[in-house]
Amino acid sequence: MLEARGLSVSFGAQPVLRDIDLTVAEHEFVCVVGPSGCGKTTLLRALAGLTPISSGSALFKGRPVIAPQTELAVVFQDYARALLPWRTVAGNVALALEARNIPASDHAARIAPLLAKLGLSGDGDKFPSQLSGGMQQRLQIARCLAQEPEVLLMDEPFGSLDAITRQQLQDEVARLAKEEKRTVLFITHDLEEAIYLGDRVIALARVKGNLAGRIAEIVDIALPRPRQQLATREDPRFLQYRHRLFRHLE
Amino acid sequence: MTRRLATLIAPVVFLLALLYAWTLAADAKLVNPLWFPGPERSFAKLGEWIATGALWSPLASTVWRMLAGWLAACAVGIALGAAIASSPLARRLLQPSAEFLRPLPASALLPPAILVLGFSNAMIVSVVAFGCVWPVLLAAIHGFGALDARLVEVARLLNFTPWQRAWKFQLPSALPHIFAGMRVSIAIALIVTVASEMLSSQPGIGYLMLVAARAFRSTDIFAGIIVLGALGFLINYGTQRLEGRLLRWR
Repeated sequence: MLEARGLSVSFGAQPVLRDIDLTVAEHEFVCVVGPSGCGKTTLLRALAGLTPISSGSALFKGRPVIAPQTELAVVFQDYARALLPWRTVAGNVALALEARNIPASDHAARIAPLLAKLGLSGDGDKFPSQLSGGMQQRLQIARCLAQEPEVLLMDEPFGSLDAITRQQLQDEVARLAKEEKRTVLFITHDLEEAIYLGDRVIALARVKGNLAGRIAEIVDIALPRPRQQLATREDPRFLQYRHRLFRHLE
Repeated sequence: MTRRLATLIAPVVFLLALLYAWTLAADAKLVNPLWFPGPERSFAKLGEWIATGALWSPLASTVWRMLAGWLAACAVGIALGAAIASSPLARRLLQPSAEFLRPLPASALLPPAILVLGFSNAMIVSVVAFGCVWPVLLAAIHGFGALDARLVEVARLLNFTPWQRAWKFQLPSALPHIFAGMRVSIAIALIVTVASEMLSSQPGIGYLMLVAARAFRSTDIFAGIIVLGALGFLINYGTQRLEGRLLRWR
């Protein structure tokens, strides 16, 4: 579904990513984990068509991604900046419907179930500034789902939320991804979050010397679904994965 | 409740105090009452204008010219501002001329405007528009250029055209700046309208006051001042209400 082949990105003379090869299969949930500055976000932006690639390619369904396309939705970490403050909750979701040229008469019928799915029913007429951080991030996810994308690219979506909200949203995103049969590429610096959510975890690390990010290890996560915050995290296999991947984060 | 009542009553009390001070100053006869009437005589004259209907025609002329010039300036200012903010070519093309024209006082344009357009409504409306365009233009340039980088990316990800981006993202994001510019402009519109009427002898409140001064009818002048003050007050109130409605999200 989504692929990087020998993908490299440089900002001027500074290499950021070098020779990234990865494949995300349809309906797969892949997490990319790495220390800050290893190029995780750049990888996501390159796959979304937001950041130009220096060499190699990003492919979506076999076609090169040169510019953003609505089949690829991006959930940003800074939800407050990614929402339109002058539009209501419903209006922000409608933005994605407008992008797909869906007639305005159909909007209400499409928005209501999305808001319900993300626990925002009854907040449709509020403005983003009236919502908590967790609710704002739910709204951004609702807007991305309204895009009906094939792939969700999530860039540290829960990085600035409190621990309890983060756990709730982890479970909801895992559930939505399976229910809605979306393919997800999920960037995080939190190793446990990556193992908890992913079918596969890709560890990114910096090459010593030139500071470019490369893939250090790819691990299949054979933990049963649906996963549970307590049981899954106490599973011996969970701890083994954690041990195995931890060294890449140092 | 008492606090709210106090904040409502206090400005009225202050206004009454001002009127009383005016009465005292007039009664003290420091200036010949022929030149400086008290509020009683001024308001009596205003009442006479209303009773005989003499007020309406000049008032309508003044308000019409002012609003027409102001609205034209707003439309031109927003359109030009959007163009300058969005296109480097437009910026290079227009900015030097704009910097040359901007410091010119609107009244300096009256003589050439009279030569070209004659003593007409069109002439005054043009000069008013010239005087009013700058605050709106500068606010629009700033506002259209100040769209958050993240929202620029959201617009790219949803594949919006430049026109859709201008309409759905930049205009609403620029609106608070534009409103601030429009409110500065409406005050300029009133000033330039009255000055233009005086200089070009076009029937209106300004001309009425000028004729009154030439005939030593001081009560007419003060009644005119009261009318202009009330006009400014009402317009400011109206734009504030409109702003509150359109910028409900703030």
